[in-house]
Amino acid sequence: MTAAMPVLRRRRFTTPRALRTPLAIAAIAVIAFWLVVIVLAPVLSPAGPLSQAFDRLQPPSAEHWFGTDQVGRDVLSRVLHGARVSVPIALMLVVASMLIGSVLGAVAGYFGRVLDEVIMRVADLVFAFPTIILAMVIAASLGPSLGNAVIAILVVSWPPYARVTRSLVLSARQTEYVVAGRLLGNGPFTSLTKDVLPNIAAPVVVLATLDVGTAILLLSGLSFLGLGAVPPTPEWGAMVGDGVQQFASWWIAAAPGLSIMTVVLAFNVLGDVLRDTLDPRTADAVKGGTL
Amino acid sequence: MLLLVGVTLVTFVLTNLVPADPVQASLGEQAAANPEIVEAFRERAGLDQPLPVQYVTFLGNLVQGDLGTSQQTRQAVSAELGRAVPATIELALGAIVVSAILGVGLGMIAALKRRSAVDQIIRLVSTIGISIPSFWLALIVYYVFFFQLRLFPGSGRLSAILTPPPTVTGLYTVDSLIAGDMVAFSDALAHLVLPASVLALYTIGLLTRFARSAVLEVLDQDYVRTARAKGLPGRAVLLGYVLRGSLVPIITVMGIAFGSLLSGTVLVENVFSWNGIGQYSYNAATRLDLPAIMGVGLVVGVVYILLNLLVDVLYGVIDPRVRVA
Amino acid sequence: MHTSISRVAAVAAMTAAGALVLAGCAATAPNTPNGAEQGGGGNGTLVVDASFDLATADPNREYETTGSIVAKALYETLLTFEGDDVTEPVAGLADFEMSEDDRVLTLTMESGHTFSDGSEVTVDDAVFSLQRVQGIAGNPSFLLEGVTVEKTSDTTLTLTSETPNPALPFILPNPALSVVNQEVVEENGGSADASDAAEDFLNGTSAGSGPYILDSYDANAEVVFTANPEYSGDAPAYERVVLRNVPGETQQLNVQAGESQIALDLNPDQAAGLDEDAVTLISGASRYVIFLFLNQSEGVSPVTSNPDFLRAVKLGIDYDSIVDLAGEGSVRPGGFIPSLFNGALTADQGNQQDVEAAKEALAASGYAGEEVQLNFPNDITVQGLSLQSVAESVQAQLAEIGVNVSLAPAPVATELDAYRNGTEQIGLWYWGPDFPDPSNYLAFTPGELVGLRAGWTADADPAVKSLADAARAATGDERAAAYEELQVAQNESGPFIPLLQPAQNVATAKSVTSVALNPVWTIDLGATK
Repeated sequence: MTAAMPVLRRRRFTTPRALRTPLAIAAIAVIAFWLVVIVLAPVLSPAGPLSQAFDRLQPPSAEHWFGTDQVGRDVLSRVLHGARVSVPIALMLVVASMLIGSVLGAVAGYFGRVLDEVIMRVADLVFAFPTIILAMVIAASLGPSLGNAVIAILVVSWPPYARVTRSLVLSARQTEYVVAGRLLGNGPFTSLTKDVLPNIAAPVVVLATLDVGTAILLLSGLSFLGLGAVPPTPEWGAMVGDGVQQFASWWIAAAPGLSIMTVVLAFNVLGDVLRDTLDPRTADAVKGGTL
Repeated sequence: MLLLVGVTLVTFVLTNLVPADPVQASLGEQAAANPEIVEAFRERAGLDQPLPVQYVTFLGNLVQGDLGTSQQTRQAVSAELGRAVPATIELALGAIVVSAILGVGLGMIAALKRRSAVDQIIRLVSTIGISIPSFWLALIVYYVFFFQLRLFPGSGRLSAILTPPPTVTGLYTVDSLIAGDMVAFSDALAHLVLPASVLALYTIGLLTRFARSAVLEVLDQDYVRTARAKGLPGRAVLLGYVLRGSLVPIITVMGIAFGSLLSGTVLVENVFSWNGIGQYSYNAATRLDLPAIMGVGLVVGVVYILLNLLVDVLYGVIDPRVRVA
Repeated sequence: MHTSISRVAAVAAMTAAGALVLAGCAATAPNTPNGAEQGGGGNGTLVVDASFDLATADPNREYETTGSIVAKALYETLLTFEGDDVTEPVAGLADFEMSEDDRVLTLTMESGHTFSDGSEVTVDDAVFSLQRVQGIAGNPSFLLEGVTVEKTSDTTLTLTSETPNPALPFILPNPALSVVNQEVVEENGGSADASDAAEDFLNGTSAGSGPYILDSYDANAEVVFTANPEYSGDAPAYERVVLRNVPGETQQLNVQAGESQIALDLNPDQAAGLDEDAVTLISGASRYVIFLFLNQSEGVSPVTSNPDFLRAVKLGIDYDSIVDLAGEGSVRPGGFIPSLFNGALTADQGNQQDVEAAKEALAASGYAGEEVQLNFPNDITVQGLSLQSVAESVQAQLAEIGVNVSLAPAPVATELDAYRNGTEQIGLWYWGPDFPDPSNYLAFTPGELVGLRAGWTADADPAVKSLADAARAATGDERAAAYEELQVAQNESGPFIPLLQPAQNVATAKSVTSVALNPVWTIDLGATK
């Protein structure tokens, strides 16, 4: 699939029209909402995220909008503080795996030969495992903690970037201006950073936006299994995990689950919109399509 | 092949990085305090050998088709996987069939009705599909459809009062059909519905998105325009050209989807007590059961390779220009 | 064209949706008339849900909760307990007599017990089985440590202990000491030493004289039993029993929906959520004690090994609120011996919360806000209760008096290492008795098994050590008092802080009229009606 990725020409986009569709605006609004929550969580929360000051397992009420959990904490407060855990970590994860993957992919694509072979075989190896199984084994081996979960996710999430970057570099390498640049005496590093990388940035950014959702799902999935965030950290996946123990108290899991969904959905919609804007294949199709 | 050896090596190294001792995980409070018993256990599990020797022993046994013995359950890993793998295959197949039909169908509709309200709705729904945490959805579905509405049975693959059909494929639905046991068949199918649907929602979302863009691309190809210009009826164009033309990317993504299904099973099997590879690998990973983890790695690696092979073969069938290397 | 093309796609989509609906209709049929009507009829199927910790179906190797349930159903032991009364061992396959000095136990085989292959249970089978437990060096081997098993006549055997062993009659009913069919086991690679290779065989076929025989065995999923036609006792009420591995929260739903007849591992919240019109709930204190310990080794932590800090923690914990957390039926123990046994203390004899005194003790210890780590296993439950809630409560309570605790959960397999090696600063664990006698709890004294895990070496606390020696030597009616005194002293200066005995909650369908629960083997499937 990645092999079909076309070469990007140098292009400039001014006002992204697609960003003004209702769906895109809604997605941006949701992300903005959570960003506000991240900043203002301590102000917005009716109680501390760790405070066990309330009666246990109370259903949602005017006092506790999302009820209280198994040790008497306010679920709303924990959900709000949970945004400070899941969202920033997911963003950081994506940036990190994007950097690692892109650099490895670019190196593989630009220098070829042995480096290419080694890097891409390792990528294949990682691909051969279902992500969560590999992440689970790593997290279980290192011991559960948010940090180790992040390491586990990093290990499994760089290969897509490496693949995309490599194929883009491979085709960009052949383009006239890169060849011209090299003839003008640019060394491999300058050539790679100045001429090649800027051209592949757009598709990688699209991939990264779509990946934020995946990272949040993976992180919360590991925490759900007890291999991620350590209690009493208000992590959303771990909170859903708490809810599993108390089936009748559905509210413990309801709000954190919904929160995961809204954030992931918003980033996925945004990623789609960005792709429609940046990806020439779809853009061309939109231009010429009449059927 | 190289990939498989790589898989075993990676799992072997990973699981031996663990600071914990599998002996402690397997022995009881009093037994672990007795050096003689600990020694006997090590010897029995082959843990008294140096690591490289352990790995070579493992490879040697592997060549003979022996995956070793689980440290936790003392049963042959191959036998345990023989039970777990078909369970997951059944679940994943159920999910992939439903999502192939629904996903490709919805994707085509969305592409054909591009930029209409229908398209927007389908796109939103498919995006929701890939955005819901499966472990959360599994809980909700379990609570609502099993517990509240009693529409479907709960945990497991078959009602406990029924005897599983004689094993042929290991898939209860298929085996019960072969045995002509319709009661077991409908029961196994009913158990399949909820977990398979939860799993399918993600792949439906994935397939819809890819099918839509694949069809959009084909619709724009010259040969399709030509066919339309020539006045071929819509259905003939759709089936003869559009669907066929978009099959290659769709099949590729189905390969990916199947892989993501295997991932999804870890979380979904947990909720539905579906004793497949997901549950098995969770138990193996958390109990540090080295032979079991290696077994899972191998099986998953083999499935991945077979899947890629299958995808390649299908390419050749659909598009004769592509030759299988 | 629009319409015709999209119609094809729409039809495809409809077909898929239809398939789902059809499957849904099929679903309702077999789901309704489960065991509810068949149960108790004498030949129905009993479905029991449990959270598995199953490792083997070889009785002489098992030492797990689920393994005991399985072994109890398939095999018989030389001595046993009547119902749930574990204060008095009674005759099983044999009757017994203990010598005056508590060193020689003579067992006389009772006639009329037969194995599932029709052969009679003999004294040779009994000797072989006990020697096999010792010889194969497995988890339960320690039960017969220092005991010599000898055949003395065609109907008698003796168990001779190196030192007085008054607990032996209480140990023998353990299902790990089941009698297996020597001939069958030996034919399949079995022996009474480390070369034994019969485990594989016993995981597929049972060779015992119990009420059931093994039909199928999958350590991760389920065990199926069918009635043993050769069983010498009253025939079991159910022809077939399916023991399934199901997590607690699902057990709760299953038993209410009639998918299973017995749910064994409900936590108090799940039990409280039961519809009592649909199911019967049996709850009582379990045999497990959840405790906290502070490591006394300076090397592990200079903070937790400080006596004033230890006292501050003991005074800072809100014991009642932790027991509340564990719900109805849970008990607050006064010492490390659970309320079911001789020599147990009541809650008011134990440590009490006193926040002001705790703060003073903390100040006296010179504690300056250092972070101390609390380790606990997070993938197991004790009677359905997860240790995480307890850990979170302890953390919050200690924060009140100014102690900075960080939680460090891990899967039990990883964490056991640190626990058993005694490297945890603060540990949150539980203890299930190996046999129902207070002497089992001497492990919690200086220099002993669990004591060492808390860095409590043999010479660390001479006062408690001498009380422990006194308790070990006590006989008859003096024992209870000796163990009580030992625990009071431990509560005062020792590293262990007993927190709670969680409730055991078992839910059964109305069709089940009698559940044979027992603290040693959890449930006797053969006696459940």
